[in-house]
Amino acid sequence: MAADTIHKVSPFLDPGPHTKSGTLAIVALSRDNLIPVYLQDSKGAHDGYAEGVVVNTRYGSFPHSTLINVPWGSQVRASNVDTGSRGRKRKRPEGEVGDAEEDAKDDAAANAIKQAATASSGFVHILPPTPELWTASLPHRTQVVYTPDYSYVLHRIRARPGTRIIEAGSGSGSFTHASARAVYNGYPKDDGERKGKVFSFEYHETRFEKMKNEISGHGLDGLVRLTHRDVYKDGFLVDGESPEAESIFLDLPAPWQALPHLSRRGPDTEEPIAGGEKPWVSPLNPKKSAYICTFSPCIEQVTKTVSAMRRLGWVNIEMVEIANRKLQVFRDRIGLHIPTERGANLTPANVAEAVARLAEIEERFRDHNKTSGSGENSSTPTAMDVDTNGDVPAEGSNGSSTYKIWKEGRLITKGEPEVKTHTSYLVFAVLPREWTAEEEAAAFARWPCGGEEKVIGSRDKQARRIEKQRIHGGKDKDAKKKAKTVGKVESNDEQALS
Amino acid sequence: MYSVVQPNGWVALKLPSDTTKVLQVVPNTTISLGKYGAFPSNLIIHRPYHLTYELEDKREGESFCRLRVVPSSELYADVFAEESGMCSAPADDSDRIISATDGVEYSLVDPESGKVVARSNREIIDDNARQTLTMEEIEELKRDGTGAGKDIIAKLLLSHTALDQKTSFSLAKYKLLKTKKYIRRFQVLPLDVPLLGKWMLEEKDSARVLDMRDEMIGLVGCWANVHFGGEDVLLDGPSSSDPEATNDDITEAERLRRLKEEAKPMNGRWLVIDDTSGFLVAAMAERMGILYQDEKDPSEQTATENHIEKEESDGADDQAIEVPAITPLETKVDNGAEATTAAAAESTHQHTPYRPRSHDFQIPFSQTNTITVLHAANQPNLSFLNYYGFDIQNPNHPPHPLLNHLLTLTWLQLLNPETDAAYSTNPPSVSSAQLGAMKPNRRGTYHRKRRRFARTRHIVDSARAGNFSGLAVASTMDNISILQHALPLLAGGAQIAIYSPTLEPLAELADCFSVARRSAWMNPETAPAETVGKTAAELERWEGNDDFPLNPTLVLGASIQTSRARKWQVLPGRTHPTMTDRGGAEGYVLTGWRARPAEGRVEARGKHTGKRRKVDDKGASESAAATPVSDGVQVL
Repeated sequence: MAADTIHKVSPFLDPGPHTKSGTLAIVALSRDNLIPVYLQDSKGAHDGYAEGVVVNTRYGSFPHSTLINVPWGSQVRASNVDTGSRGRKRKRPEGEVGDAEEDAKDDAAANAIKQAATASSGFVHILPPTPELWTASLPHRTQVVYTPDYSYVLHRIRARPGTRIIEAGSGSGSFTHASARAVYNGYPKDDGERKGKVFSFEYHETRFEKMKNEISGHGLDGLVRLTHRDVYKDGFLVDGESPEAESIFLDLPAPWQALPHLSRRGPDTEEPIAGGEKPWVSPLNPKKSAYICTFSPCIEQVTKTVSAMRRLGWVNIEMVEIANRKLQVFRDRIGLHIPTERGANLTPANVAEAVARLAEIEERFRDHNKTSGSGENSSTPTAMDVDTNGDVPAEGSNGSSTYKIWKEGRLITKGEPEVKTHTSYLVFAVLPREWTAEEEAAAFARWPCGGEEKVIGSRDKQARRIEKQRIHGGKDKDAKKKAKTVGKVESNDEQALS
Repeated sequence: MYSVVQPNGWVALKLPSDTTKVLQVVPNTTISLGKYGAFPSNLIIHRPYHLTYELEDKREGESFCRLRVVPSSELYADVFAEESGMCSAPADDSDRIISATDGVEYSLVDPESGKVVARSNREIIDDNARQTLTMEEIEELKRDGTGAGKDIIAKLLLSHTALDQKTSFSLAKYKLLKTKKYIRRFQVLPLDVPLLGKWMLEEKDSARVLDMRDEMIGLVGCWANVHFGGEDVLLDGPSSSDPEATNDDITEAERLRRLKEEAKPMNGRWLVIDDTSGFLVAAMAERMGILYQDEKDPSEQTATENHIEKEESDGADDQAIEVPAITPLETKVDNGAEATTAAAAESTHQHTPYRPRSHDFQIPFSQTNTITVLHAANQPNLSFLNYYGFDIQNPNHPPHPLLNHLLTLTWLQLLNPETDAAYSTNPPSVSSAQLGAMKPNRRGTYHRKRRRFARTRHIVDSARAGNFSGLAVASTMDNISILQHALPLLAGGAQIAIYSPTLEPLAELADCFSVARRSAWMNPETAPAETVGKTAAELERWEGNDDFPLNPTLVLGASIQTSRARKWQVLPGRTHPTMTDRGGAEGYVLTGWRARPAEGRVEARGKHTGKRRKVDDKGASESAAATPVSDGVQVL
């Protein structure tokens, strides 16, 4: 990293090789069960745990001491932690981590930290935080913008390193983290330095406070500027200054009320929004096109938003909806030879297997009838004992080392049992930069016209012919003559045919 | 991205017919839009993007069409008229005569009288049958068409005999149809990655980009966690190295030793396998901030651009150059206009400042924020990067951020570097006296060989040392074989994103990490005999067999997803999803994390502890749920 970086780089942007105390890590229990944990060193017992701070999960207990300073991605074994006989009997939800206040209280009375003893079973993986993991594990405050949506939105609104992006409202912060990663091109060394930055606005005060703590805790302070604001009323300026944004993401109930603030020019008389006599300042970068995306669940919101955008001069307005599907991969194990649990119903894999089984049953019936019906001596007592899946699984089990269940069956894919069919409608639009007559005159003076030599792009017939003539000189005439005669012949043929 | 159109830069022109024309804006040329007309390229250079222009009629005494910026109020005039119409007369429209004022396009048809009326849904009208203008008349109108095509559209509408029988919606459609055909408008768009992708997908050759849609690019970028990796770090900056940079034997040996010693790779490096001709690399580079050149101030640009390029071509290499030092871009620069002539004249007088040349063995690459591309052919195919002013084939390249952030190597160099001549052949070394006696072009070859050696050494060694922060793949090769060699190179916790246009290859790959396979791998009874007693580090390099093509414990949470953006039409009273969209390959992404399995046997924990260990038992309970997480047992 740059030698004079004052900021500690966020673990979201550069986690380093190992887990560190005091930073966020994601404990992965399973693919869909992720717990965000702020790792902390403990000097002594904590909250009744002799091992210090402990993460308790259904797969075992994990003292932080076993999670700190291990390489990212490591599989960590559970420890034997006495969870039953703690001094304070207080029910703690799974995976919750004690807060620092209690930690301090405990420290005073605590004796030396107990070395964690590895348990015989249970493990977790510890992963570096990324916006994807955070989105999957964050505490929900509002509807979350999930990865399929934000990945597409950030791509479409051109959030790239160095971009200044406006986000309103912050909500649960999934988009904030993703956009911070997208626009990050280094921490600004001082206030004056222009770097990629997220200007996030949140109306709800408690959400704002929580968000603020999160941003600092995640080391994103120089990259995310959080403001507690009603953007409908008060617009997007931060400390009276323009964020100079190039990308905008509005996750608001009424984007059309915020849109007039996102103009190049001050509003006309009909909508008085600017405060007092101060000249109106645009929150947009005056030099670049501004890309916007609004995120609204209802079609009525979209209609109003689009209508407002048209009137405010936004172009290339497009509305899309993202349908994301997760697919699960299975081994479809069907067949009579599949070794299976007791009681499981075996179905034949194909007609031949079905016929074979039916024939076998038929055979058995006949034998049975023969013995019981005619009252003759029981000739085949063994056949009666045979159950439907009798001999075939025996075949499988006698070679259990050769039978490879993970390779058996056909590979199939299916959708998840539950699908998100609608998240929100995404409206994209672009607001070109302003272009004054003076600027145009200056550009025209610099790039005067009239001296064009070549033709590029698609040529119409005329231009192509001229070009060709110039290249081939006299040769072209012959070619043309030829073409003409050919054409004549063809037309003659046509006439002849008709 | 630039704020204005750059001379000789690539742009996309969106035409009324919804086709996109991608071209390089060469100054002092005429850009032809086919039937929509032609205009001088100088009229869009140093103008903003996203403006819609209309070709004006030629002024008297001028040989070219000027452009007029179409204000958005004009672009949306129809919709506005409709909206206001809806507000004023929201009555039932079962069989009522719609007056001109609330219609869509009557303002154009006849602004004075407003006499045109349209009847709603009585008869269905055959669109083609009622046009009274003959072909010849239309051709004539087109020839001397004025008002940027608006006249002809108006005439066409007026000459339509059944116009009054059309419903307002069908009339709107008719007008849109004619507008698309005749209006002489276009919009200038920057050719960034989203637009390049859209253009390739919808208009050019979608197979070249493996049918990768915007949604997929976004998912791959996010799931591979590709982002700006940090400020550049150079191994030995110019300050630390001897500025004289002689061929002194001690430094030489020292440098050679340093080159050959083990690399300690930094974070913030990404591994990319790209069979999309560089489209994936471009998208990842865009996410890392190394695709676009820094924008020069347009006010100074014409005066300085030539001289910068000139300086570069002089400074890059003073000896024999295998490829002309002039870039393809430069050759196209026409200095016809006065302004550019002046600039060119200035630049020829420009003194090229002396730049101390770094030592041949100095590594030009940054140690972080880099993309490492593994390619199957001798040379990487990254042709799409040409649109961004980067040409991988050009050894004397004008400055571009990709130059010292893009590292390419072949699979052979990665796997068997000793068999690769560029890597294993020691560089030539002669004394400075001998060097001085050489002919200039031989001296150039000498330096070039030595530089290539250093570069190859560095690229191969740092790639083999691994520690990549993420992996992005869009390849036509077998993904299992790719992962077999790429997985060990990833840092722990690195995110993996593998794109495939079709589902089957990814399903096969995901199956390598299925729960059943994972448990079989961990179970001594079923684990392959070769793995017994090996350390986790050794097992990372597991070469794979039939049962276990990959070490199934190296990837966590492998899952497959697909996204599709459905477009909607949003118009007053007519909002609905678009009726058609692109078909073809859907596109899928497999995501996961690189795990570092613990040493030795790890027991899972869960409710059904009794069953857990027996593979057979487990398989039964999950015969229908191999990859997904079952509820009780820990299976991750």
